[in-house]
Amino acid sequence: MVDVEIRRDRIIIRYKGKKWDWMLEPRYWRNTLIWTALLAAFPLISYFVSPILLTTVITANLYAAIAIPLALMTVGTGRINFGPNFFIGVGGYTAALLSIAYGWGPLKTLPFAIILSVVSALLFSPLVIVARGLYYVLLTLLLPLVFMEVTFIYTDIFKGDVGLAGIKLLVNLGRIKLNFLASAYISMVLMLLYLLVVNKILKSRYGLIMATINDDEEVAHGIGVNINKVKILAFIFAAGMIGVVGWFYAHYFATFAGITYLPLSFMVKVLLVIFIGGRTQVFGCVVGGYFIAFLEMILISTLGAIQPFIFPIILFILLFALPEGLFGIYRKRRYREYLPTLHVRR
Amino acid sequence: MSDTLQVVLIYAFVLGSLYLLISLGFSIICGVLRIFHLGYAYLFTLTVYLTWMFMKEFGLGLIPSILGMVGVQFIIAYLLYKGVIKKYMEHEEILLTGLLLVAMIVEQGVNYRYPIQAGVFIQTTLIEGSSQIGATSISNQLLVGAGIGILLTILFILFFLKTKTGLAVRGLSQDLYSSRIIGINIEALYTFTMFLVLIPVIVGTLIVSPAWAVDPGMGSLYMTTAILVSILGGLGNIKGTIIASYLIGLTHAVISFVVGEPRFMNLSALVLVMIILMVRPQGIAKSEALW
Repeated sequence: MVDVEIRRDRIIIRYKGKKWDWMLEPRYWRNTLIWTALLAAFPLISYFVSPILLTTVITANLYAAIAIPLALMTVGTGRINFGPNFFIGVGGYTAALLSIAYGWGPLKTLPFAIILSVVSALLFSPLVIVARGLYYVLLTLLLPLVFMEVTFIYTDIFKGDVGLAGIKLLVNLGRIKLNFLASAYISMVLMLLYLLVVNKILKSRYGLIMATINDDEEVAHGIGVNINKVKILAFIFAAGMIGVVGWFYAHYFATFAGITYLPLSFMVKVLLVIFIGGRTQVFGCVVGGYFIAFLEMILISTLGAIQPFIFPIILFILLFALPEGLFGIYRKRRYREYLPTLHVRR
Repeated sequence: MSDTLQVVLIYAFVLGSLYLLISLGFSIICGVLRIFHLGYAYLFTLTVYLTWMFMKEFGLGLIPSILGMVGVQFIIAYLLYKGVIKKYMEHEEILLTGLLLVAMIVEQGVNYRYPIQAGVFIQTTLIEGSSQIGATSISNQLLVGAGIGILLTILFILFFLKTKTGLAVRGLSQDLYSSRIIGINIEALYTFTMFLVLIPVIVGTLIVSPAWAVDPGMGSLYMTTAILVSILGGLGNIKGTIIASYLIGLTHAVISFVVGEPRFMNLSALVLVMIILMVRPQGIAKSEALW
């Protein structure tokens, strides 16, 4: 029997000896709600003022939607995955191939994109146990590159050089501008859903267990944590979430090319969303996603051909100038939540 | 059958020696500085394009241009070490991302100034034409490159085994804290290592550039080879690097001449590395020390 208890500052739900609690204290969610409302208003304002901004909003949401599960993966496995874009490839190609072959729409391809992303993550999940330190970095770095090679070799299937075309659109409301607006809101819902879920996980008892693993695996093992189970679950769950972003890319653009998402350059952008945003703090991923997407857009429109050269220079400076990321500036004056240690060498 | 075997063995030797030249520097950085130099790609690109820049923009001859390029490479290596690597040695996630960004900056800068249509070519061919060894025809430049690769590797090994500085570098690669206790100047040796790795990269790039494709993104391809060789060999171990270079050379030769599918070359090497790493996560070598 589900037992719901409403207190002044929280709602507590009890079921079969397990307990979930949800904070109601305004100081905990006020700022989040204000920012969410501002974010939600932004696409609508852009629609009337400058519709071109809608594509940047979608890009920003998707960057954040990749970075948020990656932050969960980083904390939960105690390692940095340098190839999260592999799962974008898996999700995207699954959706694209199914859509082209059977004429399926986004709702039909979604479960398959999730299943294949999860299965591929399950297949590679032993890496989080056997591979340590730089070897984990290297193996994860190689995964998307291997996949990209496959797309070039089996070009009759994946069309590695030009990309797959003819995928059913994510939304088709008859007008391009409306399609973009709807896509912007869908991407925002996806990103906010990820934010909510991952934030809830990290603040829960499981988040505490993950933080223990992140800080010291041996200590975590010593106090009775099944570290392998937690690491594999964190890896698979986050991979599934990233795979959904691949699915979104495929249906949003109606084309999908591995060469766009699988090279190092895309992966670097995702890592920078995490580092410049707030070094794996989930709210920082949103800040980082929006910052990088808008910076890129502004530079493209102002600098023209030299933008690809200036963009990494600015990111390079920011990477070293903001030790705790953009979100760290905000956090300096407020309550500091758990800042995970990022392990590469261990 | 014997002809195919001969072709495979010759190409395995030549490719392996060239891969050794490309990846030796990467392996030494991994072994000594204990970092994963993801910016390594910029070295290859700068070698070709700086030489071209000195020739084209300043009207210098080939040799002065190469000397000018070497000077600039040394300055950049020094600045990179002092400004980035030394400061962020303990924050590897920042360091690795920063180094990747350095490679991206160089690639994009070069692409802006000298896009692929610029037709960059530096005439560093030592011997023109090709040779016939049995049934195998092979470019003389690549044969010379293979010879230089082996010679340079031997010189490096002798340096590490027979000189006091080499001994200190090996000590540093085995244990940083013990090296510090016995009075090794770690700072100086780290800087020295950053300079040392430039030699095989510069020599290798100058040799292969007339034979292989030159474009602003060339560094990424070479770096991928260097990464594969280094991790297959065991990060930072020269013995492992030598074995891994020839193993990958052999894999490429077999795929090209026996299977007859050169497009599978990169994939086969990647899969080989992944399989070996899953079975033996530390790579071929037993130790991560330099020798």
